[in-house]
Amino acid sequence: MFGGLARKMAAQRPPHATAVASADQMNDLLLQVARSSDRDAFNRLFEYFAPRIKSYLMKLGAAADLADDLAQEAMLKVWRKATLFDASKASASTWIFTIARNLRIDAARRAARPALDPDDPAFTPENEPLADVQIDRAARDERIRAAFSTLPPAQYEVVRLHFVEDLAHSEIAEHLNLPLGTVKSRLRLAFEKIRKDLGEIDE
Amino acid sequence: MKLMSNIRHHPKDLTLAAYAAGNLDEARGVVIATHLALCAKCRLAVRDYEAVGGGCIEAIEPIAMTDSALDSFWSRAGRQERLRAPASIQAANDFALDAAHPLASYLKDGVDAIEWRSAAPGLSQHVIPAEGYRPGVLRLLKISPGVRIPKHTHGDEELTLILRGSYTDEVGEFYRGDLADLDGDILHSPLATGEEPCICLIATSAPLRFRSLVGRVVQPFIGL
Repeated sequence: MFGGLARKMAAQRPPHATAVASADQMNDLLLQVARSSDRDAFNRLFEYFAPRIKSYLMKLGAAADLADDLAQEAMLKVWRKATLFDASKASASTWIFTIARNLRIDAARRAARPALDPDDPAFTPENEPLADVQIDRAARDERIRAAFSTLPPAQYEVVRLHFVEDLAHSEIAEHLNLPLGTVKSRLRLAFEKIRKDLGEIDE
Repeated sequence: MKLMSNIRHHPKDLTLAAYAAGNLDEARGVVIATHLALCAKCRLAVRDYEAVGGGCIEAIEPIAMTDSALDSFWSRAGRQERLRAPASIQAANDFALDAAHPLASYLKDGVDAIEWRSAAPGLSQHVIPAEGYRPGVLRLLKISPGVRIPKHTHGDEELTLILRGSYTDEVGEFYRGDLADLDGDILHSPLATGEEPCICLIATSAPLRFRSLVGRVVQPFIGL
């Protein structure tokens, strides 16, 4: 059963080199948008991210037309907030993920209260103290993404279900017909593996 | 900054990851966000998990936008003003409860305007509505100095963030900014220490459980 799943997931993964190249490119495009409101640069961001955000929203159950509309709205936030993008704190895809995530939380909740915004000054009230750790945040993000993309299939799948399909631990357990403890330990192992790849814990 | 380095108790990795995934209920989300506003170490950890989210977005199989999407986008964008680069940000790290931080939007008039409801001698609470996305229960608990909450478990995972004062229990000593991310089966009996009341921000699962929790907690205490 998992063999088939693993092959399917492996097929879904983009070749690693392509992903990294496009990540660098996306950071540059976003900075161009921030600096000079460059519409051509933005169109390329739109072309790359909007269909992915649409896909993300549809995996969460949004109908195609709503997902299209919300993806445009997410990209509108990217356009409006581009000057807040800080390449020393996140790479473009990480930042855009947080925008799409907050947008779908807002869309799903009945209350009018917006999702907590990581760009809100109140959220990070003082200067980041560990400057050495994030001298090149984009490079770190890139290494995390690389580590993520090479996770063993079973670990990759629980992370994907958690982050993309918004399943809680117990829901993942139900979905994969696994004990809750197994789901949690797979997630822990996945994050440990990523940290190992970053050189932060010993093999 | 020195103040922040005093934080000794942090959320579990899986809790931070769930926060980054956008998977926590609103009540837990607020507790974690408030801890993050005080804890640079955990903020960095969350950024790492958000990078995993960035990886997920990159790896996702794209679904084509409608043909008119880009035109429609620019006609929407044309009507909206863009944000300017932010001015330098005022430091707000003294953790005055009424200062701007994620909890502030839930407490419009600040902590001193809270209408506390007494639950038992030396113990009062204030429930904060947080039943939007994935309902949870958020509340503030105020424990007078020297008051000990009788031994109890939670039956479910619970997040407790210390906002003012301090308490000590079987797990350790908790001060402002410390967060107890306890498994449901942990048995503890917090004792409020220090001079001022201990104010904690607590998230538990839906449905609303505080009454029964108060029952469990307070029952032996007030002899009900």
